[in-house]
Amino acid sequence: MEHIAGHKPALTWIVRICVTILVVLWLIPTVGLLVSSFRDRDDISASPWWQAPFPAEQTFATRIAGDAVQQADGYLLTGDIHDLPEANGAGRITAFGVSRSAPTGIAAGDTTDLPKGGTLTVHPDGSFEMLTPEAPDAKGQRLYFAAEVPPEFTTANYESVLYANGMAQAFINTFTVTIPATIIPILIAAFAAYALAWMEFPGRGLIIAGIVGLLVVPLQLALVPLLRLHNDIGIGQSFVGIWLAHTGFGLPLAIYLLRNYMAGLPKDIIEGAKVDGATDFQIFTRIILPLSFPALASFAIFQFLWTWNDLLVAKVFLPSDSESWVMTRKIADDLLGSRGGDWGILATAAFVSIAVPIAVFFLMQRYLVRGLLAGSVK
Amino acid sequence: MGPLMQGVLTIFVGVFGCVAYYYFSNLFLDRVLYPARGDDAGRNINRANAVRPWLFLFPALFALSLYLVYPVVGSFWRSLFDRSGDAFVGFQNYRSLGADPEFRSAVVNNFLWVLVVPAASTFLGLIVAQLTDQLKWGGVAKSLIFMPMAISFVGASLIWKFVYANDPNIGLLNAIRGAFGAPSLDPLQLPFWNNFFLMVILIWIQTGFAMVILSAALRGIPEETVEAAILDGANPFQIFFKIQVPQIMGTIVVVWTTITILVLKVFDIVYTMTGGNFGTQILPSYMMEYMFRDDGRATAVAFVIMILVLPVMIWNIRQARKELR
Amino acid sequence: MKKVLFAGVAASAMVSGSAYAQHLMFKPGEGDFHWDSYQAFADANDLSGQTVTITGPWTGNEKERVEAVFDYFEAATGATVEYSGSDSFEQDIVISAEAGSAPNIAVFPQPGLAADMAKRGLLTPLPEGTAAWVKDNFAAGQSWVDLGTYADKDGNDQLFGMFYRADLKSLVWYVPEAFEEAGYEIPKSMEELKALTEQIVADGGTPWCIGLGSGAATGWPATDWVEDLMLRTQPASVYDQWVKNEIPFNDPAVIGAINEFGWFAKGEGFADGGPEGVASTDFRDSPTGLFALPPKCYMHRQASFIPAFFPEGTKVGEDVDFFYFPSYADKDLGNPVLGAGTLFAITKPSDATNVLLDFMKLPIAHEAWMAQGGFLTAHAGVNTALYNTDSERAMGEILQGATTFRFDGSDLMPGEIGAGAFWTGMVDYTTGKSAEDVTAAIQARWNEIK
Repeated sequence: MEHIAGHKPALTWIVRICVTILVVLWLIPTVGLLVSSFRDRDDISASPWWQAPFPAEQTFATRIAGDAVQQADGYLLTGDIHDLPEANGAGRITAFGVSRSAPTGIAAGDTTDLPKGGTLTVHPDGSFEMLTPEAPDAKGQRLYFAAEVPPEFTTANYESVLYANGMAQAFINTFTVTIPATIIPILIAAFAAYALAWMEFPGRGLIIAGIVGLLVVPLQLALVPLLRLHNDIGIGQSFVGIWLAHTGFGLPLAIYLLRNYMAGLPKDIIEGAKVDGATDFQIFTRIILPLSFPALASFAIFQFLWTWNDLLVAKVFLPSDSESWVMTRKIADDLLGSRGGDWGILATAAFVSIAVPIAVFFLMQRYLVRGLLAGSVK
Repeated sequence: MGPLMQGVLTIFVGVFGCVAYYYFSNLFLDRVLYPARGDDAGRNINRANAVRPWLFLFPALFALSLYLVYPVVGSFWRSLFDRSGDAFVGFQNYRSLGADPEFRSAVVNNFLWVLVVPAASTFLGLIVAQLTDQLKWGGVAKSLIFMPMAISFVGASLIWKFVYANDPNIGLLNAIRGAFGAPSLDPLQLPFWNNFFLMVILIWIQTGFAMVILSAALRGIPEETVEAAILDGANPFQIFFKIQVPQIMGTIVVVWTTITILVLKVFDIVYTMTGGNFGTQILPSYMMEYMFRDDGRATAVAFVIMILVLPVMIWNIRQARKELR
Repeated sequence: MKKVLFAGVAASAMVSGSAYAQHLMFKPGEGDFHWDSYQAFADANDLSGQTVTITGPWTGNEKERVEAVFDYFEAATGATVEYSGSDSFEQDIVISAEAGSAPNIAVFPQPGLAADMAKRGLLTPLPEGTAAWVKDNFAAGQSWVDLGTYADKDGNDQLFGMFYRADLKSLVWYVPEAFEEAGYEIPKSMEELKALTEQIVADGGTPWCIGLGSGAATGWPATDWVEDLMLRTQPASVYDQWVKNEIPFNDPAVIGAINEFGWFAKGEGFADGGPEGVASTDFRDSPTGLFALPPKCYMHRQASFIPAFFPEGTKVGEDVDFFYFPSYADKDLGNPVLGAGTLFAITKPSDATNVLLDFMKLPIAHEAWMAQGGFLTAHAGVNTALYNTDSERAMGEILQGATTFRFDGSDLMPGEIGAGAFWTGMVDYTTGKSAEDVTAAIQARWNEIK
């Protein structure tokens, strides 16, 4: 609808700015997740994600040990901090200290007294001189220092998610669950929605109300009775069972959305077709279905999303052996590990599982166009 | 590769089975049962038309009653029993709910959610749908706003932890406060307002839903009506609010209803962010506290939720009636 | 594919060609494991072609470890064990048991749920003689029997659960070097611990890191504190009465213990982040404060599993260590130990299931995980030299040498209390409510479910 704003450039700019602001607001949290997925667990809790791309100041703990040279006034030990243990990644030294409670109390370049006697000087470039009255022991002198650390990103999270054993199988399983669980309810719902929108019969209002009411049924209520039913009729825990379950759970919204959309289609087309002698079945397949494509596509997107991200239904209705795990289960029960503490993996898993639905959205977006409908309105 | 082949096979069998059912049952009705020829042609057509809706509805109604109605009835029966499911206690579960202050605060909070979240998501979704349609990069903008929908609730909770965390080194909000010199506080522990901070998460997720549906509806509006308004010299705001919005009112009601119902169902956000502490309890998360532990009480909560939906149902029936006329 | 016929301890060259044997983590016959009883077990049982299904809370690398234990069962009997772990085990097992698709064995992370399911008739009592065996072979055996004994559907007490893995809760973690630098001594009594806490504050530091956050389970770490303090301020018999609600939850004894926790968590400057920080910090993030430079805190009271959440590469015993959460010197209550554990229960009986439970009684079933690390056991017949680290051995010895061992009380209370009202009550208490109000509310909730 470019013509609405098309004439007024000022308005176009306002629109652009508004959309940009909204998109940025919506994106900030997700960017946080994306950045976090490239950091390891310790980094995530150590510094904020928005500082991840910049060099950060980090505090290190190390020990100075080695052979000292005896001099007139004591033992002198010189060297470079960067060669000491556990100083990996440290850049320029900014400050140092010798006690844990004040690890960065002394500016680089200054000299401090050591608790057991002697002095220590650390220079910004990392070189240090330690002068002690007695030869330093093997354990060495504790040294804390703050240094600049270049930003560090890792793909380890992605490696452990994508290359986990059995991930390919889980990926296939997820598709095996989601595709039928998306197509079957849409098909059934489309027929029912047409009947509820365009066919006259007693009890129609009641059924519509009932379907709205069923929208609110919490899934958890249905799990135990249905699993029992599946066990009784011999489906048990299987892919067939989960397709049926997703179909049942997805139907109310599908019927509700599609009926609403179909009811809004122009009356004259359908009545015209009826006058021309078309049967309901023909009207449905030749007129309603093509016209309802935007609604079908948008519901398909959502149903796909839910089945894709679902963990609960998959856990209950699929066998528990790892052969039939879907991705969500693989991630929750295998990769996250006990007590689910690894946020790097969690962030990565969220991003990996986002990719396919977003691709589906892009793909389906083409069908959300109005050309299909606009052309037919006379 | 077993499940893959099985999957392909089922898609094939399931989809074509469904199509075949509709096609052949329809054919059977028209040709065999009530053929539209001979002496009874007129009567048969009427009869066939009376049966046909049920033919179309049957699979849906069958699946719905098996997968939703049957558990609901069973659950209602269950809500009349005690926690172990052995002793019939009548409406005792409902009475003890009424006596629980946590339940009462959950109801109050839930009312806030129902008022705020659907309104905010629908409004934002509508605005985004309208605005992005006018931009070249609207498709990209839409995908970005849609993205939160695709993130699992657990992922979403993690994302918002990075926004709300008490520690200014992790939480964005407190980092911004810190930049202005304000002391950090935990947004999720602010009495009353913490509810709104939690609602923001669901609004963030659901705006994408509203946007997709409303965008499809906006595109369904006949161009003629808009063009006519432009010729009449209406400004863009008038066109939007007086011409376009009324035409998609039905869809707005649908989106509103769907999100309202979702609000009454989604427990994950409260459950994972605060666990219902700090006065943020809502009915679905309250129910989850009892689910699989005291099913009598959990199912009773479920029915309270269903009763709360009644006004929404009635509103929808009236809306549907209006359309039919 | 029947049994591995390894020829006892002496012969390390075992019969090759057995596919199972290749997978065994520790070669039969090597090391100081109890191979004799394992060999005898292997000779006595043949379950070729049979399958035992098990569901439990262990996932990730814990799953790998327990499967390595089951490998020995498979090698010995020829049976197949199918273990599946789940992070939401509590929910999954109830659904599958009620729907009739339960596995043979469920491994419960806490007794409360097992007791509940036993009462609903969803569990099968353990084979006869198990109670006597546990009593004789576990340290403080009778208490483990009591913890696994629940009322069945008809109200008769039966043994439903056998404990396999224990957690030790009464531990305070600290960084030895930080203590050394500041000149702090490890406190030997609660009085000293409190004095140390005040000392650290006076020195300008923050003594404690406490984090109650845990998503839907927010608040549970505080219940451990209260239980530990309950055992240190009251005799164990009062603790037992409290857990069974024979004294009301708002009894002065309980309120006292909660206020003791408040002394640590709510004292000015005692806990990192103040009470608000305590309530919102995730328990998984909380211990990282010990390792911050400068330290955000000096001590962290948490169970034996917590090293899993220490920063990568942290060495227990070197970079970080623990001491026993001490008892009051002026109260004569001994050295009580608070713990927890997982238990095996039968959800679908079969002969092979009983044999598997017999296998779990063998020292090797415990030793095979001990040697992999991250495992404590109350089994008195194991070779403690096999513990993976010195600190685990020390914990195992605390466990076996406890004068008073008490199980995590919140795990024993009904789910609504121990995994609900008690949790939220402690969060409310931490963020401002009085112990009296909180406990009265919990008691009111308990009255409802009686």
